[in-house]
Amino acid sequence: MKVTFPHMGNVWIIIKTLFEMLNVEVIVPPLTSKKTLDLGTKISPESACLPFKINLGNYIEAAQEGADTIAITGGIGPCRFGYYGELQRQILKDAGYSYEAVILEPPDGSIPGLLKRIRYLAGNHNSWGRIMKTIYFAYQKSVAIDRVEDLIHAARPRLENKPATELLYQKALASLVSVTSYRGLEEVVRSVQQEIAERQAVQNYQSGSGSDPLRIGIVGEIYTILDPFSSADIEKQLGFLGAEVDRSIYLSGWVGKHVFQGLAKGYRSMKSYPRLAKPYLGHFVGGHGQETVGSAVKFAQKGYDGIIQILPLTCMPEIVAAGILPRIQEACNIPVMTLTVDEHTGNAGIQTRLEAFVDLLERSNCLRKKVPKELVSLERMC
Amino acid sequence: MKIGFPRALYYFDYYPFWAGFFYNLDIELVTSEPTHRGIMESGLKMAHDETCLPVKLLAGHINSLKDVDYIFLPRMVSVEEKTYLCPKFLGIPESVSAAVDGDIPVITVTINWREGQNQVLKALEAFGLKLGKGKAMIRNAFQEALKWQTMYGELRRSGEDFEESLDLCEKSFTILPRETSLKLAKTNQYKVCENREPRPGIALVGHAYLVNERYANLDLVNKLRANVDLKLIEETETKAVENSLKGLRKKMFWSQAKKILGAGYSYVDDETVDGVIYLSCFGCGMDSVSQDMLARRARKAHKPYMVITLDEHSGEAGLVTRIEAFVDMIVRRIENESNLSAYGKCLDNN
Repeated sequence: MKVTFPHMGNVWIIIKTLFEMLNVEVIVPPLTSKKTLDLGTKISPESACLPFKINLGNYIEAAQEGADTIAITGGIGPCRFGYYGELQRQILKDAGYSYEAVILEPPDGSIPGLLKRIRYLAGNHNSWGRIMKTIYFAYQKSVAIDRVEDLIHAARPRLENKPATELLYQKALASLVSVTSYRGLEEVVRSVQQEIAERQAVQNYQSGSGSDPLRIGIVGEIYTILDPFSSADIEKQLGFLGAEVDRSIYLSGWVGKHVFQGLAKGYRSMKSYPRLAKPYLGHFVGGHGQETVGSAVKFAQKGYDGIIQILPLTCMPEIVAAGILPRIQEACNIPVMTLTVDEHTGNAGIQTRLEAFVDLLERSNCLRKKVPKELVSLERMC
Repeated sequence: MKIGFPRALYYFDYYPFWAGFFYNLDIELVTSEPTHRGIMESGLKMAHDETCLPVKLLAGHINSLKDVDYIFLPRMVSVEEKTYLCPKFLGIPESVSAAVDGDIPVITVTINWREGQNQVLKALEAFGLKLGKGKAMIRNAFQEALKWQTMYGELRRSGEDFEESLDLCEKSFTILPRETSLKLAKTNQYKVCENREPRPGIALVGHAYLVNERYANLDLVNKLRANVDLKLIEETETKAVENSLKGLRKKMFWSQAKKILGAGYSYVDDETVDGVIYLSCFGCGMDSVSQDMLARRARKAHKPYMVITLDEHSGEAGLVTRIEAFVDMIVRRIENESNLSAYGKCLDNN
């Protein structure tokens, strides 16, 4: 059995660790590329969302490297992701790939059924204790990745040498792939922290400390905000444009909520979102629709300069949220932009919109600071 | 007190329930007029760009409701155990009313059958109390409402069409004795003219709010009925639907998709059905799953299958051409038993 799984940003590092530490042969699909998406789009239903198409592309590319089993999470709705594992299995079968799909969910709510599936993937040579321990370690690794990402988010707009920052990020990720001890995780995070601090010190010494960057909150559908390929690497682009980004969902927050059922908090807990969303959306709508609304309120309360929502075309929960965000924009006086992505999305188009959005935020920031109050009120009277 | 009920989306599935509920609470329920150009256009202007046509129509209908005290937008989370409705249904009270932003206050109640009948009743009691009705009255109204819904289901299964069923259902609880209306339904049934040659059997599957929305689907049902023997999901026995879903490895978690897929699978296996048409709308997330699954099954069984995707730009000529082509293809297939040559001369005798 050679297990593979779909890509979603840096998730592969965690899943690879998980299977390797359990001595299960795992095949990491080649990193998502245009080719992956093309392969996936060809055999996907036309109106399926972007993550579905990328997933299928990942499986096809992994099959070429010998993978025969897919591990994917499931769900019971109402977001259609819950049915993706099963539908993808059927599509791959019809397209001539002999995959077995193991959907990690309690089938019809039966926990023994879920344990059986985990056992099937982990094989008989692992004790339950070891499986649990490994899952917990993988979870800690996801926390470490999130911490590194967050440091890089802060470093991008502040450090002048942009390529060096990216190199630092890639190096940190590369060393996180092979780390197998808790101490190792801590060391990687600390070294990134130290490196950034040192560079900033040098920079401040040479050219004085710069002004505070714009702060932009990224909210939306989990796949598109976690996976740089599907969102044209929006975090990096914004960082280069001089904005510090934060996002609504971090991987460990999701794992903490769904795998550990809230027992582990994750790096960024998603707990407060439903409460914050309540005045605008009083009921969950599947996927992360309510989280999108709640996190938008959170970013507004924290004084962020703007919010960007990313969603794949036809995403049902996010469309509900997108209909509500204008109300938050009005009530909290914070600009919100919605970006829809699909297989036809071009980087240049997104870049132009991001530049325009950042310009808009910078201008309103300047106006807020420079224009005296009287002038503003005079204008209103005219 | 007058409560406005938009003639869109859940109107096409669950109106009898709400009509019965409010009738027994002595509250006047006013529906918006059937969709027309003005409603559609105002809906398109107001609703979020990326949402689907039915939700845009809903926005238009909400906007067209005037002279009512409240607009009623229930949050229908689930109508049976272990399933949900579409995520957009779950967010309707907030997302659509945000788009329309009228002066008339919106009232809502959350209906979630996942948690059982008692919870639904509890939610309705709390809702009814706010409207100033007593608990006993609400309970009675709830029981009556269920009867209305069942009656409507029976009428549909007897072959009555959508508008007639709603009308008869309402009459049977308000004016006529029940037996008379059921009898009426049977005499009214659509009949095939016996002197004409047998016509191809076609099944039309899709969401009730598309199939029964005559304006948006360009009167597809009647267009088809003029040429073929039409089968609709509502006319199919629930048992047949459930049986055909038994082979699924994973259960469907949307009620509507379950109905569509179950009925669709049964049509694929049904020899009296010569072809299946799936009526979908652009951007429907549920259909992207169920449509693909049904297409796969139809292909395996060599059953002719066509998808019609509606959006606000659907044109009549395009639709008519596609239906004609599909029906012609099926007629030829019946006559020639699919022994058509894949190349060379046409084997069509006529």
